[in-house]
Amino acid sequence: MYGIEAINAHNGWAMALAGALIVMSGLSVLSFIISQLHKVLALTDNRKKSKVIDQPSVPEPIPAATADHDLSNLEGSLTCYCDETAGLGSAFTLQDLFTVFRECDFPHPHLTIRSLKEEGFLVPTDQGKFSWKK
Amino acid sequence: MELLFQFLQNTGYYLADYRHIIMLCVGCTFVYLAIAKQYEPLLLLPIGFGVIVGNVPFFKGFGLGIYESNSVLHYLYFGVTSGLYPSIVFLGLGAMTDFSSLLQRPKLMLLGAAAQMGIYFTLLSALALGFMPKEAASIAIIGGADGPTSIFLTAKLAPHLIGPIAIAAYSYMALIPIIQPPIMRLLTTKEERLIRMPETERTVSRKELLLFPVIGVILCCFLAPASIPLLGTFFFGNLMRVSGVVDRLAKTASSAIIDTATIFLGFTVGASTQGDVFLTPKSVGIFALGAVAFSIATASGVLFAKLLNFFSKNKINPLLGAAGVSAVPGSAREVHLVGQREDPGNYLLMHAMACNSSGVIGSAICAGILWSFMV
Repeated sequence: MYGIEAINAHNGWAMALAGALIVMSGLSVLSFIISQLHKVLALTDNRKKSKVIDQPSVPEPIPAATADHDLSNLEGSLTCYCDETAGLGSAFTLQDLFTVFRECDFPHPHLTIRSLKEEGFLVPTDQGKFSWKK
Repeated sequence: MELLFQFLQNTGYYLADYRHIIMLCVGCTFVYLAIAKQYEPLLLLPIGFGVIVGNVPFFKGFGLGIYESNSVLHYLYFGVTSGLYPSIVFLGLGAMTDFSSLLQRPKLMLLGAAAQMGIYFTLLSALALGFMPKEAASIAIIGGADGPTSIFLTAKLAPHLIGPIAIAAYSYMALIPIIQPPIMRLLTTKEERLIRMPETERTVSRKELLLFPVIGVILCCFLAPASIPLLGTFFFGNLMRVSGVVDRLAKTASSAIIDTATIFLGFTVGASTQGDVFLTPKSVGIFALGAVAFSIATASGVLFAKLLNFFSKNKINPLLGAAGVSAVPGSAREVHLVGQREDPGNYLLMHAMACNSSGVIGSAICAGILWSFMV
């Protein structure tokens, strides 16, 4: 049996349609849940904070690595970036740089890398790698 | 003299026929592509050498061949036929996957779902070409562009087709740089390829990363319980990675364990392609349908991204749809490169990785769904 006849005989249309709908709806639901997840977490975090609001608050020390990371003053933070990425060698991929930035808890690693690129502090070398401006 | 003649009759040189020669050429081509061209060497090298080993002619009944129940290769092949290796590969894959880009851009998950349409289109095509439903489902999963998933489902539904399906799936994964870019360019305009995706400023919290694998496994496995062997280990691997309390286990899963499974998976799948079993008209049909499946999957991801752009204010670069297939990270890299060819300042990699990782989840769900349909 071949062609449309075979598809009909084996219930192919129903399987294809149902399968497509199930995977589409499943991932849509998952997508919706993860899009709301940070909002729900923020809500629960705020509740916890409001519970301890009466207690005297101790100012949190600012981590040394992130203290100077102001996107409007990239040049000032450049030495710190260079030091932290020294282990990557002279040329590195943006993915490796991103990993180091995240490990160092630098705020907004994507945005920082993008700004560094746009300001010319990150210079493209060959094979999709980058190096720091000399 | 008679002893010598008898010995010569048992050598591979005497027993070889044209099918062995063809398959040996295929194996050598794979090894060449892996070493000289560096096309997916982690897959093609073990598979290619496995094809060579599997096609050395031998005297049947000595317990040498992969299909002979008392052979060493047969025991190694058990990991394939039982679905063990794919499960282990998924464990490692989960431990290697960073979902933060997906959690920052959840909308892109829909592209991972859309790219699975190739699977269902191929299911219909395979049925129309006369394949039985279980065979058609196994062939269709090639459209997910996920080798372990294809092997897993085929082992469950049509074990006699593991060889051709696995070779087709891995070959098309290796040929991503050749197959995907023309489809991407054909279905998009230059303006669309130039669309820059906005950088998200939101940092994904540790809590989100921890909750995702738990929510993911519950949601997906409740929907398609047959995908538990793949998604269960996948999300478990990811939880080990993000939890930060079992770094040693996560590192082992993402290095030694996945490497070991990949070696044995590739080698035994290669060795299972013995000329007399592999070179059949069915295999030709599977290869043709696999190419169709992969192309349709790529096209449906791209077209769905274009469709989303009709309804959305924030335009998505439709190239990202092509990364909805689950060939990680090959298709994401290709999307990024095609985008960069148009605009060297356009960085699509992280966005493409989001689609890619959702594609892995999507194809595993599809495998579960197809398996459930066939039970």
